[in-house]
Amino acid sequence: MAYVATRGGEKAIEQAERLFREELGTIDMARVAAIRQSMPYLIDRVMGEASLYDEDMAALALAQTGGELSEAVLVLRAWRTTQPRLAVAAPLLQEDLLTQRRISAAFKDIPGGQILGPTLDYSHRVLATDVLEGKPFAPPAVEPAAQPAPAHQPSLADWQRQQGLVAPAKQSHVAPDDIPDLTREPLLFPASRAHRLQSLARAETGGVLALGYAAMRGYGNAHPTVNELRLAEAEVVVRHPSGTPFSAGRVRVCQAEVTSKEKGGYLELGFAASFGWNEVKVIAAATLDLNSAEAPVGSPVHEEFYLYHTESVEASGFCIHFKLPHYVTFQSVLDAMRDAKAKAAATPVEAEQMEPAE
Amino acid sequence: MSLSSLTKPWAATSYGFLDASAKRELRRKMLKAIAVPGCQMPYASREVPMARGWGTGGLQVTLTLVNPASTVKVIDQGADDGVNAASIRRFISRVSGASETWDTLGASIIQSRHRVPEETLREDQILVLQVPNPEPLRGVEPNMSIARQMHADADYGRLWLTLYEQLVRKGRIMQGAAYPSLVNGRHVMTPSPIPRWDVPKLNMAKHLTFLSAGREKRLHAVPPYTKVEPLVFSDRPYRVEDHQQLVCRRSGIAGYFMNEIPQDDGSSSFEVSDSNLGIKAIRRAEGETVDIGQTWYRGGEFSA
Amino acid sequence: MLTVSLPDAAEARCNKTFEALMWAMARPGQVRDMGEPGLAPVVEALIDRECVVHSDSATLAPFIANTGATPGTIEMADHLFHETLDIEALVSVRCGTALYPDDGATVVLQAAHGSGTRLRLSGPGVDGVCDITLAIPPAFWSLRAALCAYPEGFDLLLVDARAVIGIPRSTHVEVL
Repeated sequence: MAYVATRGGEKAIEQAERLFREELGTIDMARVAAIRQSMPYLIDRVMGEASLYDEDMAALALAQTGGELSEAVLVLRAWRTTQPRLAVAAPLLQEDLLTQRRISAAFKDIPGGQILGPTLDYSHRVLATDVLEGKPFAPPAVEPAAQPAPAHQPSLADWQRQQGLVAPAKQSHVAPDDIPDLTREPLLFPASRAHRLQSLARAETGGVLALGYAAMRGYGNAHPTVNELRLAEAEVVVRHPSGTPFSAGRVRVCQAEVTSKEKGGYLELGFAASFGWNEVKVIAAATLDLNSAEAPVGSPVHEEFYLYHTESVEASGFCIHFKLPHYVTFQSVLDAMRDAKAKAAATPVEAEQMEPAE
Repeated sequence: MSLSSLTKPWAATSYGFLDASAKRELRRKMLKAIAVPGCQMPYASREVPMARGWGTGGLQVTLTLVNPASTVKVIDQGADDGVNAASIRRFISRVSGASETWDTLGASIIQSRHRVPEETLREDQILVLQVPNPEPLRGVEPNMSIARQMHADADYGRLWLTLYEQLVRKGRIMQGAAYPSLVNGRHVMTPSPIPRWDVPKLNMAKHLTFLSAGREKRLHAVPPYTKVEPLVFSDRPYRVEDHQQLVCRRSGIAGYFMNEIPQDDGSSSFEVSDSNLGIKAIRRAEGETVDIGQTWYRGGEFSA
Repeated sequence: MLTVSLPDAAEARCNKTFEALMWAMARPGQVRDMGEPGLAPVVEALIDRECVVHSDSATLAPFIANTGATPGTIEMADHLFHETLDIEALVSVRCGTALYPDDGATVVLQAAHGSGTRLRLSGPGVDGVCDITLAIPPAFWSLRAALCAYPEGFDLLLVDARAVIGIPRSTHVEVL
């Protein structure tokens, strides 16, 4: 069986996986808990891209992939897809969110106030090298305000609607059970609003940032002003079979609303939201949403372009698939090329004459 | 009614990994794909525990078809022991209890990347081809919505034009693998990146072929006894790779699609790409009784 | 890291039914065995909450409702389960569009095999021609020919007890 001996695919892949996993060592609950506790923003990002809100599972995915983000998202999505859909949660209203951070760049102050909440925005980005010299970094305690900020904040766009600055919201009469679900139906174009926002919610952060940044920098026609950015916690309200709504738990969510200029007498709004707290993603995504309406086909801010190319699992999978052998297709190309070269060598003058007029 | 009536008994995973609703969607789309041969049918394409682009589309079709009585063969570039073929085959058998085989003749389902086996497939066999890009028009029209409209209008003029330009510029059509082909006289499909050598095997074949692109969420099919015609001009006949005369350095067989192996002295030697056909030929030469099926190519010539 | 169960009874049934439906559709005119009689196994294998279903069967109704499918009129339905053939009603069956041929309906019809009108089938999946006899009047085939402007059209699964015959829109049907 000399033919096979040089290959031995099954043993090779087994050992290659062992090499990867051996380096990561034993994964236990302590490691999962440490990741969950120390990297909440990474956990948020992974949960958002996986469309699966479970901090322990996200931490486990990070642990078993060694922090290879696209692998972590894939393993979570592959688990998610095997789970039954038991219920559809009630839609969230902005004023019902337990809001921890909510800012607007459009006005100096807004009804409800600018609530900075947790952020590194105004920190000096200095590496705490002392830690490496054995001196732990213990952050100073937060000094509570005299009056706590209200837990709920109104929607700025609602105020703008009352002022006639933003178009009245269109009432949607879609029953919760009938809201299209991107994970159960193919994305077709033009995409429904639900599909577009769902696709952006689970998009790859870096990809959304790259294309959103392209739009901000000048490849889109609308430059964003952050109308409202919100980090919050939301109750997941589902209906008990007896008919009673109840909260099945609380999840971290974020949303951005960006605006640009007047269109048809109103300010245009772009919107994005996601599981977890991931500000850069929702601002970039809302910018893409804002730019979609007038985007030329094939431009990076055109819906088909950015939704396809920010799909994390598809993009990363296709990119790494080029590691797979392609020698059959390559052989096929070589064959045509050699034949064409032989033909050209045999009749160089004639080939020149056959060049078509441009 | 209680909460528990909404759910089902806990199981780590469903049989065949995909849950019942994913399978039902695939079944519906597979029937439509058969009903309109060569037409790309959109499907949700669930994530599976493999990276997109690594055969997830083919895998979803196979997992929908498979049962404990199935016998599954998986090949990549013609080889059963390619690392990804081994990985996919192991996954399928783990989640389904199906038998594994390397022998084309013994398989009920053959999942393949980039090749159609050389032994003629039978009426009871299913070939599942993994498809990276299901859209034959992608090269002339990257926008999927416009390309879909072109299929609706049977507007293949730009595709013909590129083939014609290649003829004029290079003296031949330069398309390597994934040769665009007209199915049932209506839809142009990509046969997936199989070499030109393999496309005639799909024409009026006895077996059923599914072509599934997991990342792009499209699947199409070629039922048995369906016309698959590579796009060619009447005065320039379709040409398969020039492998008719090549001899496999290991098995000694000739007249099949070969892998080229560059040699230190600047020359090339060749190995038959359908690796299990090579193995069977070697075993037969060593005196074993080995069943080698009728092949599509005989003496290097295609004979349906 | 992976624990796998064996197929339960429903999974095994659906797998077997679909295999019959698939080969029936792939080989128009050939009779396939679904393992279980009637329209119910077809419902079980294909239908869930993503579907819009029309059915004329009172006995099938609770079974269909249990799948979560939305009940709809003939013009809305992507799947039809009919115990009796009402040719006039089928005028409004969905045939999809050239853009989305998959929107054409799947019509599952109870019809006796082996008696009635003689038909000659040709097209994809048929090796040459295939002659069959079905208890479906010629008027139906005229309607089908009028509606199915390929690739638009609807696809037929004709069930007689456990046996099923498929006639996709790609099949040319000649009434003999």
